[in-house]
Amino acid sequence: MNEMSILDPVLLIAIPLGLAFLIPLLGLVSKKIVRWIPVVGFLFNGIVALLILPHVLKQPIIVKIGGFVPPFGINLYAGSVGMLLASLIAITGFLVSIYAVKYITKGAEQKYHILFLLLLTGATGVVLTGDIFNLFVFFEILCISSYALVAYLGTRSGLEASIKYLIQGSIGSSFLLIGIGLLYGQFGTLNMADLARQIVDYTEPSVFVSMVFMITGLGIEAAIFPLNAWLPDAHSSAPSSVSAVLSGIAIEVGLYAVIRVLFTIFAVSNFFIFFMVLGVLTVLIGEMSAFAQKNIKRMLAYSSIGQIGLIVFAFSISTQLGVAGGLFQMVSHTLGKALLFLCAGYMIFRTGSMEISSLEGIGKKMPITALCFTIGTFSIVGLPPFTGFASKFMIIRAALANGELLLQILIGLVLVGTIIEGAYFFKIIQTIYFKGAHKTDNREEAPVTALIPMLILVSFIIVIGMFPNIIDKVLQPAASELLDQVKYIGSVLG
Amino acid sequence: MSLELLIMFAFGGAFLTYLAGKISSKLRDIFALLCSVALVVIVSSLYKVETTITLYNGFFGMPLSMRLNPMAWFFAIAIVSSSALVVLYSMSYMKHRERTDYYYFMLLLINAAMLAIVLSGDLVSFFISWEIMSWSTFLLISYNRNAALPAGIKYIVMSLIGSMCMLVGIISIYTAFDTITISEIVQHMATATAGYKLFLLIIFSITFGIKNAVVPLHTWLPDAYAESPSPFSAVLSGMLTRMGIFGFLLIMFVMVGAENSLHMGRGFFSYHNILAWLGAITIVIPTFIAMLQNDAKKLLAWHGIGQGGYMIVGIAFGTSLGLAGGIFHTLNHAIYIILLFLSVGAIEYSTNGLRDLNSLGGLFKKMPIAFLGGLLGICGLIGIPLTNGFVSKWLIYKTLILGKAPFLAFATLLGTWGTILSVYKFLHNLYLGQLPQEHQNIKKTPLAMQIPIVILSLTILVFGILPGLPLKSINAMIVSFGFTPLTVSIWGISSETGTLNMINIFSILLVVVAIFWLIFQAARKSTAVDQYDNYAAGAAIPKDKYNYTVEFYAPFYRMATPYLRDIFDMLYQKIARFTEFACDNIRKIYTGYVSDYIIYIILFLALLISAQLKWSVF
Repeated sequence: MNEMSILDPVLLIAIPLGLAFLIPLLGLVSKKIVRWIPVVGFLFNGIVALLILPHVLKQPIIVKIGGFVPPFGINLYAGSVGMLLASLIAITGFLVSIYAVKYITKGAEQKYHILFLLLLTGATGVVLTGDIFNLFVFFEILCISSYALVAYLGTRSGLEASIKYLIQGSIGSSFLLIGIGLLYGQFGTLNMADLARQIVDYTEPSVFVSMVFMITGLGIEAAIFPLNAWLPDAHSSAPSSVSAVLSGIAIEVGLYAVIRVLFTIFAVSNFFIFFMVLGVLTVLIGEMSAFAQKNIKRMLAYSSIGQIGLIVFAFSISTQLGVAGGLFQMVSHTLGKALLFLCAGYMIFRTGSMEISSLEGIGKKMPITALCFTIGTFSIVGLPPFTGFASKFMIIRAALANGELLLQILIGLVLVGTIIEGAYFFKIIQTIYFKGAHKTDNREEAPVTALIPMLILVSFIIVIGMFPNIIDKVLQPAASELLDQVKYIGSVLG
Repeated sequence: MSLELLIMFAFGGAFLTYLAGKISSKLRDIFALLCSVALVVIVSSLYKVETTITLYNGFFGMPLSMRLNPMAWFFAIAIVSSSALVVLYSMSYMKHRERTDYYYFMLLLINAAMLAIVLSGDLVSFFISWEIMSWSTFLLISYNRNAALPAGIKYIVMSLIGSMCMLVGIISIYTAFDTITISEIVQHMATATAGYKLFLLIIFSITFGIKNAVVPLHTWLPDAYAESPSPFSAVLSGMLTRMGIFGFLLIMFVMVGAENSLHMGRGFFSYHNILAWLGAITIVIPTFIAMLQNDAKKLLAWHGIGQGGYMIVGIAFGTSLGLAGGIFHTLNHAIYIILLFLSVGAIEYSTNGLRDLNSLGGLFKKMPIAFLGGLLGICGLIGIPLTNGFVSKWLIYKTLILGKAPFLAFATLLGTWGTILSVYKFLHNLYLGQLPQEHQNIKKTPLAMQIPIVILSLTILVFGILPGLPLKSINAMIVSFGFTPLTVSIWGISSETGTLNMINIFSILLVVVAIFWLIFQAARKSTAVDQYDNYAAGAAIPKDKYNYTVEFYAPFYRMATPYLRDIFDMLYQKIARFTEFACDNIRKIYTGYVSDYIIYIILFLALLISAQLKWSVF
């Protein structure tokens, strides 16, 4: 392990956390430097995460904090799922923080950057931890920083959304804590692997109470229907750079936590039909609500609900293909939705309105941003040759693989959702390029710091969409890791 | 010349054209034209080449491949040649329009995607190309703004429904046979159950039926054709819609196989018979709806649907003769409908976007080339002997008569009758009759627009007199489907059941024309009068007070309009409105009150607990 000292998963959490606390100090030296700290932090994280990733595909890295052997002490479990998501978080964080350099110029700038770092630290912590209480702590870091960031603009709607989010999020956190407390009371351990081992042999049905509380608690952040009512307000009121991270990272991390709890700790298999139906409902309700929106950010937020539904559906198939498809869809959604929010951010900034109708003629005004936006929508709808198609392909394949009638019907409904999604996204594209009288506006392109992240995201979307094999190499081990509870327990407890 | 190069050239050419447009528009036009001409050259150099190549394994390790065979070549050459003509035409037509770089980029991208569709050797690359074609078409339909926007949405939503069906079909094939390569699927198909084959036929028929605008899946087409820029309407009607025919051939005769798809079900209720009847309905109703149109492009669009019906009838009938007729009609239709759209486009160009049949007329002296195109185009459309449409229609009629399907034959004849009535209106109201005063000094048709019209007009005659030229490669295609070959000569088809020899007809007509000419020579000379020298009931008509072309067929209108409503369009509109209504109400779940949201959370928890208590799922 010596040569891997730089490749320590702990760094992924420690560096951004440390930088977050450094910001107030560095802020005394220079105001400008503060903006670049998240960029540096996540660049580092991205590089480290991508370097670690190949190592964990065969064998996960178990980090024993303070040298305590599990189940004592806290351990990190850097498996393929964790590292896949950690890389995704770091890359998205990196790109969004470049975007924020110019985008966030008003208000409590320093605090924004601190909270942004903390938010993604929390997210990274959630996906890497192997301890259930630790999960709660990171989860709280994630949630609390997002409450604050939603209210960052200080507008009335932002504050209102933030309070609503806070209320619902706190209920979620308390439910989660109740669940964890019940488990701790029953088994006397907080280590996920240890819990899993004991629950396998535990036949009393009372353990389900804690599961239900945990799922409900985590489900709120994961935006599963009907727990997602906070999302449209919060995602649309936040600054666009925050919305990108909330939609692209936060809810997916919440969903990861749900999946981890279900698959690894409780290993329930007969619960999934319920989740499948829930996923399809989430898709339909998300997409249908998005269809009627006039506000672009609300539309994107509702579309996130639809996408989350699709991911829930994919995971609930609980086969190798299904889980891999769900993870893939997470990746595509993160890339696509982050891109859409980033583009929408400057479109709104230039037009001064979030109304879709005000986007008329923006294709002439901001050609590159509009093009990126178009590619983002194509990917989200699932049109080839973009990444959304590849992930949707995988999910449909998983749904049709075992020939169950229920799955076939449900995937049909999911595809109906896709058609609705296509309809409203295509309408926006028409608004951007073709609606209104033909005007020759001056060009007012987004600044370079915004264009770079957008173009990088576009290139990811196209490259992964054309060569999904690149990511498939990570998805397959990741899916088997989630499905193989025994191996998880074995690799932690030895 | 290899296939990879062809595909790379097609897609790369589209991108480079866009970039060239950033430098100068002249460069772009020339580059686009060179690209499309080069594609014609490459594809024609691949005549009779049969090859398969694997492009790459990057898509989940599935081998994405390209293959060239008689069917692919036939469609490929039609695509690239029509594309070249349309690009040439666009050079003048699209001048002074906005976003021309974008227009050329999309036009070439669509052509590249169509080329990739017909060349794809597996279903995944087929689907990918199909989708690229669909979304780029959407982007180009929306180009004209205003009325084009709803047309674009209508198109893309129906197209998405189709592609979702196809995606399910493709993935189900992949899970069933563990392969996506078409040639391997063919072998596996023998082991599949009849029910599964029927499922595949139906689900793919929805996709291709939407694309080929078979009633009742046709409703996207009239608006999309009418609102697109005219050169693109030509591509849309000529080749893009006919990707549906390609798809039908692919699923029926290549993948599922003729021996299966023609024996699916019993008696009347067999797959191909129902398809043929849908084709017949597609011929009759849209053709008569076409008669009611006052928009030149809408009129052509409805004929586009109707003519698609002939192809479907021919193909669904599933004999060598019928297939040859259906496929040949696809090609012929492409030629004359592109010609007609280009002619209408020329009028649009000269009259600043006018295409209303009530306000045009008498243009034949002002625009002789466009008139020639329109005249030969409608001759082809009707199927007048010595034009290409006659041959393919003859093949289809012959098939239906030989196949003892009098009702279908009657439907096709009825369609032709309706076609004659409605295209006469088209020709008359555009070119004949009185020239409205405001069109006295219209713009001249530029050369770049005249050349494609002339070439296509000649092609109509050449294929009408020498139908053997294309029928040879159609014959090769039919043989590859496992049918008995036809005896094709350069002049036509000979068989024991009926011989078609165009040279005989040609010579007879020549003689008849000569006789009539002689008679007219002997008769009294007619005197040439001015176009405005008109009389009605013995009195001179004041200029601009009377226009012959207004309310053409008015009595027929009153009679037929109640029966010729597009009920399917109304039905779909209703569904769309209902969906919108439902969406608007679903949204109200999110009330905005946080207390409601907390109730949702508690209810969810309660639901989970009670589910456990009741069914003990955990």
